Amino acid sequence: MISQSSVLNLSWEQRRKLTGLLFITPTVAFVAIFFIVPLLMTIVMSFHDWPLFGERAFIGLENYQELGSDRQYLKSLDFTFRYTALVTPPIFLLGFILASLVRHNIRFIGIFRTIFFLPVVIGLGVSSLLWVWMLDDRIGVFNKILLDLNIVPKAQLFLGRPNTAMNVIILSVVWKTVGFTMILLLAGLQAIPDELYESAEVDGAGYFRKLLYITLPLMRRTIALALILSVIGSVLAFDQFYIMTRGGPRNSTISIVYWIFNNSFTYFKMGYGSAMSIVLLGILVALTGAQFYVLRERY
Amino acid sequence: MSVRKAMVILLALALCLGALPLAAQDEAPQLSMWVRSINFQTQELVDTWNANNESQIELTVIPSGEFVTKMGAAIAAGDPPDIASIDLIYTPAFASAGQLVDITDFVKELPYVDSLTPAHMELGMYEGRNYAVPTAVDGSFIVYNIDLFEQAGLDAENPPATWDEMLEAMRAINELGDDIYGYWFSMNCAGCNAFTFLPFIWASGGDVLSDDYSQATIAEDPIVREALAFYNTIWEEGLVPEGASIDNGSNFASAFAAGNIGMAGTGNFALSLYQNDHPDLNFGVFHIPGKEGGAASFGGGDVIAIPAGTEHAEEAWRFIEWTMSEEPQIEIYAANGQIPLRLELVDNPYFEGDERQSTAASALAVGHTPYTTVYNDLFNDPNGPWLEMLQIAILDGDIDDAIALGQERFTQIMEG
Repeated sequence: MISQSSVLNLSWEQRRKLTGLLFITPTVAFVAIFFIVPLLMTIVMSFHDWPLFGERAFIGLENYQELGSDRQYLKSLDFTFRYTALVTPPIFLLGFILASLVRHNIRFIGIFRTIFFLPVVIGLGVSSLLWVWMLDDRIGVFNKILLDLNIVPKAQLFLGRPNTAMNVIILSVVWKTVGFTMILLLAGLQAIPDELYESAEVDGAGYFRKLLYITLPLMRRTIALALILSVIGSVLAFDQFYIMTRGGPRNSTISIVYWIFNNSFTYFKMGYGSAMSIVLLGILVALTGAQFYVLRERY
Repeated sequence: MSVRKAMVILLALALCLGALPLAAQDEAPQLSMWVRSINFQTQELVDTWNANNESQIELTVIPSGEFVTKMGAAIAAGDPPDIASIDLIYTPAFASAGQLVDITDFVKELPYVDSLTPAHMELGMYEGRNYAVPTAVDGSFIVYNIDLFEQAGLDAENPPATWDEMLEAMRAINELGDDIYGYWFSMNCAGCNAFTFLPFIWASGGDVLSDDYSQATIAEDPIVREALAFYNTIWEEGLVPEGASIDNGSNFASAFAAGNIGMAGTGNFALSLYQNDHPDLNFGVFHIPGKEGGAASFGGGDVIAIPAGTEHAEEAWRFIEWTMSEEPQIEIYAANGQIPLRLELVDNPYFEGDERQSTAASALAVGHTPYTTVYNDLFNDPNGPWLEMLQIAILDGDIDDAIALGQERFTQIMEG
């Protein structure tokens, strides 16, 4: 009763504040339980020899020191950034072209937007399996087409060679994610008033001038958002490598998250996996900060 | 990090769902049992038990390559199954971490304890105590297609006994047609090649680990290099289908069943598959030979154990003890072409007159199983040093690089 009467006694201003607090409580609780607490636990674990089961021991910075001599960790970092650098440009270029194509509200355009966006709603695991079958040397549709057109003399093992494995995985990921980038860029494109283009046309600007001086500058925020989401997604890539190549051939496609997963759950070294996660978190924060800085609004 | 978070949440949800029926009826105990995907007799064992007992067992089949990871996660989450059929080579790892119930007192009461397959009993022990008993016995050997041998003009009565004889037979069979190949290996499957390639080394008197399993001997043992060169020749000469290089084990047993493969390394688990599902396949069995003769086998299979933390240890043991009793051993194991777990039951009506079964069973006499707590990290991990070494040596032909890399990474893992 006391608390109830005290709430009733609050001024309008105080009650407004309390209401606001109540509104954000679920979100704060959610973030605390599913982000802050696990993050703190990960930090604590990274200072321990923490097997998945069995005895734990505090070992200070040993896990972090071990990182320097872990050849696969460095190889995985290198691979992950190479993958990110290779997969981001096609996603953006293609996403931008598709967004330009479906920008205007003409008849049946919804059908095309849906088609381009459709792969996004398929789970990455499912799409990876789908690609494994399409790329198969005996039953795959790609080899069938290439053989029928006499482009290759015999069925190719796309996932069996390091170079082609990387390329076909990039192809599959571009197919899978380009729709999402398209939707983001489409929203940015449609926010630009047509009047700007019309007046530029009056001044005699061609397509590329309009693109360079109107479209891209006005889409800075959208591009920043899409780029950051895309880069974070690529750095954290796991499913496609786990399913399509299982890290092979010759361990050439082990991404950094894959290596963290392996250490934590296959080698049972949770502490070491945590240390790698913290380092990766630091790298991602730095990378995202740099992107924000480069793409910040300058007036 | 997000992956791990997602894993934990998924796991928690899965466990909640799994726990519901347990809570609903607490009269007759409900036991959960995990088995890896390779043991065909387990379903029948569980069905028979459920039909005749108050307690009911719910069987979950886990893909072989995922077993250790899933079992580890379940133990860490505090909710492992009540019974687990574990690849015998992982028992030391789980027992040493204190995750299995000590069943020494139960085991010593068994009247037939001395006739249970020795490799499994040894792997089920840790510091003198029993933690597991056998549940599936699986030695490795080579199956060969008698029809193809005869078509190629080879003596099917006397299968190859050395590496050179194997190569000659493969070359002759390869000549038979574009779609006919001398051999099959699953070169993107780590465990398959521990099971069927290591015995080539052992049969020649070599090994990749020292006798006390404390050191890697890849670089110093010349037989390792020769065995890698032997497999490299098979690959280079096109004696296996090209797809073998990327097979992750899903065709490990079934490739040979298609009838266009001359020989393939395999184990008991595949015999019942061939006999039941491919009755037209005319095949024989021979031991994995050494370079100049001899024979060896990987003493594989599963042991059955009770994970720590279960409330149904007594009932779990009652089931385990029943699986080893005479009736299921004959009517479920032997009737399905599986080797009985007790040596005195190998002579049974189902095996009489089947030379393939007796050869397969005798492979266990030359069986060998490494005892190490890091077996998974060394051999079975798809990203581990064993498979990487094999692929670089056999598929790329860089045998020196492969041996150097294998020696280094084995040593790193064994030193912890």
